[in-house]
Amino acid sequence: MAALCKWRHRLKPAGFFQNAVRRQLSDNYDYDLLVIGGGSGGLACSKEAAQFGKKVAVLDYVESSPKGTKWGLGGTCVNVGCIPKKLMHQAALLGGAVKDAQKYGWRIPSPITHDWLTMAPAVQDYIRSLNWGHRVQLQDKKVKYLNLKGSLMDGHTVKAVSKTGKESVLTAGNIVIATGGRPKYPTHIPGSLEYGISSDDIFWLKESPGKTLVVGASYIALECAGFLTGIGLDASVMVRSIPLRGFDQQIACLVTDYMGSYGTKFHWKCSPSKVEKLETGRLLVSWTDLDSGKEDQDTFDTVLWAVGRAPETRALNLEKVGVKMNRETGKVCVSADEATSVPHIYAIGDIADGRPELTPTAIQAGKLLARRLFGKSSELMDYDCVPTTVFTPLEYGSVGLSEEEAVRRHGEDGIEVFHAFYKPLEFTVAERDASHCYIKMVCLREGARRILGFHFTGPNAGEVTQGFALAIKCGATYTQLMATVGIHPTSAEEIIKLHITKRSGLDPTVTGC
Amino acid sequence: MARQYEEVTVRGYDEFMKAVSQRKGKDVFAYFSGSKNEQGVSWCPDCVKAEPIVRGELGYLPPGSVFIYCQVGERPYWKDPNNEFKKTLKLSGVPTLLRYGTPQKLVEEECFKKDLVRMMFTED
Repeated sequence: MAALCKWRHRLKPAGFFQNAVRRQLSDNYDYDLLVIGGGSGGLACSKEAAQFGKKVAVLDYVESSPKGTKWGLGGTCVNVGCIPKKLMHQAALLGGAVKDAQKYGWRIPSPITHDWLTMAPAVQDYIRSLNWGHRVQLQDKKVKYLNLKGSLMDGHTVKAVSKTGKESVLTAGNIVIATGGRPKYPTHIPGSLEYGISSDDIFWLKESPGKTLVVGASYIALECAGFLTGIGLDASVMVRSIPLRGFDQQIACLVTDYMGSYGTKFHWKCSPSKVEKLETGRLLVSWTDLDSGKEDQDTFDTVLWAVGRAPETRALNLEKVGVKMNRETGKVCVSADEATSVPHIYAIGDIADGRPELTPTAIQAGKLLARRLFGKSSELMDYDCVPTTVFTPLEYGSVGLSEEEAVRRHGEDGIEVFHAFYKPLEFTVAERDASHCYIKMVCLREGARRILGFHFTGPNAGEVTQGFALAIKCGATYTQLMATVGIHPTSAEEIIKLHITKRSGLDPTVTGC
Repeated sequence: MARQYEEVTVRGYDEFMKAVSQRKGKDVFAYFSGSKNEQGVSWCPDCVKAEPIVRGELGYLPPGSVFIYCQVGERPYWKDPNNEFKKTLKLSGVPTLLRYGTPQKLVEEECFKKDLVRMMFTED
């Protein structure tokens, strides 16, 4: 990946001489820092910089999705990502909890139904309150907010265009690109653009999506199909090859197996060939089974494309200004301090090549960058051991290496994998199937056996994993794990009690107390 | 100079809701304050401080909008966590300045900041 990205090239930015007139000789810029993109990274960076008394501006502009969906300040996480996703996931979990409640003695009338028209507006209202909250915060911290679409003119100059097309020019001592990404559309599939939607639209739908086909196998695809199934809709997932690419594959299969047993339909190794609209208004999707070559069809109310995200770089004019991008990913090449190939231009968040596409890393990188630029700090962002959680119906929390990656780095003989299938206590009375609740700890084989990777599937996986992220960051070992006392009764204590290794071949199912 | 907005003064929850329902489709801004006594002074010191600041920005209200000045009631009524303003309108404190039907609101000390008030009146 490093070979594709040659940074630190001192290229002469385009338009240099035209802007020399605009720029005064004494480097008197409009702003000390101009951030393009008001999402997780951009907002954190700008607010931190303003704390140092610097003149900061944020340009945030949302181009509508092909379906016409638009949203306010806050970026992907707030508007069309983490926040609405987690809330709808919660809606789905509550449906399950209500069913369990009956076994615990609650008298609940059957059947229980879900109303999209109650959930979606409540989620959307909360998002709007966050948009407002961010707006107030920026104003309060003296960060100038401009609802304008920014593009680079040279290393210190940005062209800003309003929604009515009015243009203005802004200059800055430093520029941070934090424009994030947007869902990709498989435009080679006829009907994909006209009839399909993406994660940009699903949370803002005015009506229930009904019977939905989710195309893709990323966490976005699985999380969406998961909550749609959970709220009682007929949801199918169409997977071209493997689920959750990049994640531990053993765990990925547990996640999808659980979803399958709870009602999500899977079309494995299939690829859609076209989408047509029927007279009824429903969508007819045709697809090919990649193994057999067989064609098949079905009708759906909604087709949700979750086939990857593309970095928002097209409209930024990066090549002209000399900002190097990775030709494969289209993302901006950055060095360890988030610098691009052009001095004083930085990139953080989803737009930066090689970085995790996560809100907390974007926020932290943004803050540290501001401290390095304007404070006396030299602290770089540490991207090692970043914990994550996939909020599928069976949640999956992890930090560190997958088993495959650990084997790649240390060899099978160099690692020890401890694992256990456990049953959350709450599942017992509820008569829930716990056969996919699993814990895996990948450790170095020698010495105190430092923990390389942690994987947990089960309820509240995110809450369980967070603490272990700290442990792993501190270099925790299996020896220390063994010396730690568990909290009883919890699912998390089963992590502390891990003792069966994969190598032993023994049955890893936890038995009794 | 003719005002571009309509100012309405109400007392209590019922009067407030009536004023709002009579102005459907309009951009309604509401300022909630602890009620004033016969001397015209509110029991709520923050409300006393914020009112001139909010009033100072009224010129920035969008044309055709409505500004409702609402006195919520006496201190014991306000302190009751079940009063209609808290329960139904979800107000958490006075003064509160909000844009009805949107999540836009400024609460307590936020109302002291004229740039925040102006921002609410001038931005979408």
